[in-house]
Amino acid sequence: MNRALRRISLACLVMFVLLLINVNYLQGFDANSLASEPGNSRAFAQQFQYQRGSITTSDGVTVAESRPVKGSVYKYKRYYPDGPVYAPVTGYDSLYSATGIEQAEDKLLSGTDPTLTVRNLIDLITGKPQQGASVQLTINSRAQQAAYSALKSMGKSGAVVAMNPQTGAILALASYPSYNPNVYATLDGSQLDKADAKLRSEASQPLLNRAINATYPPGSTFKIVTSSTAFTHGYTDNSRVYAPTVLTLPDTTKTLINSDGEVCDGGGHVPLIDAFAQSCNTAFGYLGEHLGSAALKAQAQKYGFNDSKLTIPLAVSPSNYPLADGAALTAYSAIGQYSDTITPLQEAMLAATIANHGTLMKPYLVQAVKAADLTTVQQATPSVFAHPVSPGVASQVKNMMIQVVSNPIGTGYVIPGIHALHVAAKTGTAQNGSNNTGLNDAVFTAFAPYANPNIAIGVVIKGGGYGAAAAGPIAVQVIKAYQDYLERQ
Amino acid sequence: MLVFAVAVVTFAYANVGFGLNGKLPPGLGEYCGGLAVLVLIAHLAVRRLAPWADPLMLPLAALLNGLGIVMMYRLQEVGRNGNPGTLSVPMSATATTTQLLYSALGIAGFILVLLVIREPRMLQRYTYTLGAVGLVLIAIPALLPDSISEVPGTGAKIQIAAGGFTIQPEEFAKLALAVFFAGYLVAKRDVLALAGRRILGIDLPRARDLGPVLIAWGASLLMLFFESDIGTSALFFGLFVAVIYVATQRTSWLIIGVSLFVGGALAVSRLSSHVGQRFDAWLHPFAAGNPSGNAFQLVQGMYGMGFGGVLGRGLGGGQPYWTPLVQSDFVITAFGEEIGLTGLMALLIIYGLIVQRGLRAAILVRDPFAKLLAGGLAFTLALQVFVIVGGVTRLIPLTGITTPFLSQGGSSLVASWMMIALLMRISDTARRPPPQAIQDEGMTQVVKLR
Repeated sequence: MNRALRRISLACLVMFVLLLINVNYLQGFDANSLASEPGNSRAFAQQFQYQRGSITTSDGVTVAESRPVKGSVYKYKRYYPDGPVYAPVTGYDSLYSATGIEQAEDKLLSGTDPTLTVRNLIDLITGKPQQGASVQLTINSRAQQAAYSALKSMGKSGAVVAMNPQTGAILALASYPSYNPNVYATLDGSQLDKADAKLRSEASQPLLNRAINATYPPGSTFKIVTSSTAFTHGYTDNSRVYAPTVLTLPDTTKTLINSDGEVCDGGGHVPLIDAFAQSCNTAFGYLGEHLGSAALKAQAQKYGFNDSKLTIPLAVSPSNYPLADGAALTAYSAIGQYSDTITPLQEAMLAATIANHGTLMKPYLVQAVKAADLTTVQQATPSVFAHPVSPGVASQVKNMMIQVVSNPIGTGYVIPGIHALHVAAKTGTAQNGSNNTGLNDAVFTAFAPYANPNIAIGVVIKGGGYGAAAAGPIAVQVIKAYQDYLERQ
Repeated sequence: MLVFAVAVVTFAYANVGFGLNGKLPPGLGEYCGGLAVLVLIAHLAVRRLAPWADPLMLPLAALLNGLGIVMMYRLQEVGRNGNPGTLSVPMSATATTTQLLYSALGIAGFILVLLVIREPRMLQRYTYTLGAVGLVLIAIPALLPDSISEVPGTGAKIQIAAGGFTIQPEEFAKLALAVFFAGYLVAKRDVLALAGRRILGIDLPRARDLGPVLIAWGASLLMLFFESDIGTSALFFGLFVAVIYVATQRTSWLIIGVSLFVGGALAVSRLSSHVGQRFDAWLHPFAAGNPSGNAFQLVQGMYGMGFGGVLGRGLGGGQPYWTPLVQSDFVITAFGEEIGLTGLMALLIIYGLIVQRGLRAAILVRDPFAKLLAGGLAFTLALQVFVIVGGVTRLIPLTGITTPFLSQGGSSLVASWMMIALLMRISDTARRPPPQAIQDEGMTQVVKLR
């Protein structure tokens, strides 16, 4: 019987070995994927047991931090000092979920990223409490504040994105109406559910990040793309194009008129640069008709249209330029109507490309990540996103954008305070809705100072009316705030 | 060794206090002193009643028992004294004391077994009596109304609840049946082993000899069906197959046994929604593949273990209370979360050592009945650990049985201590030196009979 007993022993050994292997798999190998399983509240709750890293702007203003709390299960609570202003960037970090940078950089902020493992181990040995890494944004607090307060005083839904054209660093990213992320920081689960349900049901959609996740018709700002296509196809800024007061579109009874039905620069054939400054729809409709939708689409995509993969590291909704079917629709699409849509970030990217001699830098929000001991864990390195146009083409578009502001016939000439800042711009007033009911969307894209640009900006105000009247002044305020900041440095 | 075991438990208990409240826990002296006294009494009893018994078993069992008490205290403190959390099935403020009392009962049972059963052979006399007792103990909960026999919220009918006091008779049935199987098979092993035909290289037993196996199989499946308790039925059946295999040394019994059980279990999983759900939860535990959410407990336990990682969160540092029934079936996940992979492996190795010591006694002992009994008991312990730990770690479908020595509850604890006593009695018999032959040929040789 001993032989059988030995075999039974072997069977017992096998069972224990199986158990040991399985617990090793579960607690060693599989632990990380279990932790990231949706519904694992342990991992999520754990982050409130120690200090999560802060989020600061590039100029050192703290926009999110963990503060110790008393009388709770949890030791720390998230706090957003200037909540609504930075909400589109920071997002929130609640008991159950996170958004924005809080989500995108969660592993570093919570200190669970593999790059922090060694530091955590040292902390464990030396008895220091674990602490997350802090994230430094590219956001400039002055520009961001200016953007949000300008949007707020306008009172209409809209967004502003400003970036450094030479690096792609995003200087401001504001959306209005916004929400206060502090309501998500509550450590009371039922309170959190209530607040979340309330914000979600609001008609004004405060949770929507309009700067990167909402698209609007670009209107006349799309003429930057149309001009770029034209210059690449042999036109110059002095080429004369047909600019009637009323352009009859081929194969239809539809016509295209200028914004208020006015004559374009005396009529007839006008130089492109004047048509651009005055934003003549007929001239650019005619030009687009001749260039063709395929060429426009190719150029738009080089600027970043139809790209659903861009992350900054927040996911950016694609701006769209679908192929227009037929000459008439192509003409509409060439002036930023038809089915063209654009995010405010993409607006800024148009100006940034021209400002940076035709090279578009990849937009990014995170400047650096620093561990709790202040050593740098990550440092952003600017990278080229695309070369939408050649430097030659860029300089011609730039000349035209300068004319928009400096030429008295330009659409941006009347914007208060714009001349002192040496802004180059393009306005847009986009019709939207069926049969163009409702107010137009005001669109504006610009960079400054044009001699050596350090800021490129895109502004969209839903139902704002004329681009120069509603969106332009907001851009000017943000540019001014940023230039003032740079001067004081 | 015993001192070491008590020291480890005391340290762990102090750890819970620091982990939960940052200070030494109240009752350190009472609980740990109480445990030390119990263990000392047990030790003295062993010295007197079974001096040759395996010296490792008592300290190992005491260590497990002590750690179980520590975990009870840790879980009992949830929601008290400013500690966060709520248990799905609340524990009373005296749960730890109760568990300590059960431990005292367990030690009493341990000493009683050593005292009454001076020779393993004694039990052989009661083979059929104990077999009947075992079957009755199993059958009682199935026959009683749900209100008395159903474990709340689990659908398993395995207990007798009366006046706020519950007993799980199957824990004791396990011991009775182990004796019955061993006694029965010692008598019948020759006929089971030798008669039969050889087909396809496997020795098949005669059809009429299959009778008892089929009865055992049928009984275990009926139990499965009426009491919805797949774990215990697997345990009984595994015990039976192991003992019959050791008795006959014929592989055919293993193959027949295992295939019968697997086939039967699959059939029942189709018929019984309770068992079917367990299979479903095992295969698709996570939310995406499990819309009914019936794996919540399993998944919470796994999250807890994953959260514990290699080193654990420290006693009092995790949230084991988020797992439903963590104090009984899922106690191993609480250990996994708080003492980590390292601690859990140590626990498993302690179980492995007890099993190995039991099997060693089985191999050493000469009496075939004792051999079968020790082998069966040790194997049952191994199987029980495998079924419950494998179940909560998703190695096999989850079946709710107790974790020996660690789970909350008296029946399991007392039965486990009695099992250790039986194993120690057998090892005492095995290791007792033979009577010394007296050198002087002229003298009358005295053979000690006890």
